[in-house]
Amino acid sequence: MTRSLKLTGQVLALVAVAGLLGLLVWRLTHQTHAPKIGAPAPNFTLRRIDGSGKLDLASLRGKPVVINFWASWCVPCKGEAKMLEQAWRQYKSEGVVFVGVDYHDVTSDARTFLTHHGITYPTVQDGSGMIGDRYGLTGVPETYFVDRSGRLVGTHIVGTITNQAKQFRSGIRAALHQ
Amino acid sequence: MTLRVLAVAAAALALAGPAAACAHPKTSLSYLEGQIMCPTCHTTLDMSEAPAAQQIKAQISKRIAQCWSAKQIEDELIGNFGQGILAAPPHKGFDLLAWWLPIGGVLAGGALLAAGVWRWSRTRVSDTEPDLDPETDRQIDELLARMD
Repeated sequence: MTRSLKLTGQVLALVAVAGLLGLLVWRLTHQTHAPKIGAPAPNFTLRRIDGSGKLDLASLRGKPVVINFWASWCVPCKGEAKMLEQAWRQYKSEGVVFVGVDYHDVTSDARTFLTHHGITYPTVQDGSGMIGDRYGLTGVPETYFVDRSGRLVGTHIVGTITNQAKQFRSGIRAALHQ
Repeated sequence: MTLRVLAVAAAALALAGPAAACAHPKTSLSYLEGQIMCPTCHTTLDMSEAPAAQQIKAQISKRIAQCWSAKQIEDELIGNFGQGILAAPPHKGFDLLAWWLPIGGVLAGGALLAAGVWRWSRTRVSDTEPDLDPETDRQIDELLARMD
């Protein structure tokens, strides 16, 4: 009786340790790392907040894409909104698509932001921040460039594009010509 | 005159509107601040002054003023930010494990501790009072009788 009790205890302890080890391995293997330049841009299908329906990044394959992560509570995002809209109007005739990804935001505030800043390019919402995590986002705003084959190109911009206009233009050019 | 009366009535309605919006709020900001997470700083709202937390607090205040219940506000925030916005997992489905596993762990630990103490105390008793075989027992009794 005592022997079987001891054996059961040992088995339970082993199972508990194995479970904890399993959790550790799972966590390590599922850790998100920022995708490198040249790697496929993490895909997403998110709800549009500028209209109805969803937007699938994969559906834009064949077009250069500029992805801008922003939030209505983010002060620097307000500063770059106008420049982003101007760039979208300038480059859309060349086939470039701008996609705004509203990150960790209240939908009604996000819509007010879009109206207030006159944003007309498609905008989706990443309320849970899951897509931002897949991109390795460190904060907002951040801007990524995707070429026609769906790969990340250029150098992604951390912070406002207004302070990094040259890098922003070269990112768009990289997306257009690679 | 009629215009003046209408203007006064409109102004009174405008001023009374927000106050009359919810005479008996169903929940409070201070309660929900402890139940909702700040999505960017991973602490509850009451611990955070981050812009995202401020925005959610404002949204909660707005809904409280509209007489929304805590459940309605939480549901709206879940729809917006996902389940991760809640400070504690819901009491249903797989998330129940998060509630029961710690309790189970404490109970199992207590049971193991109790079993250990019980076994230890029994060993101590048998150490101090060893069982004697009948022959030795008889010899001791004889020896004690002779001493008397």
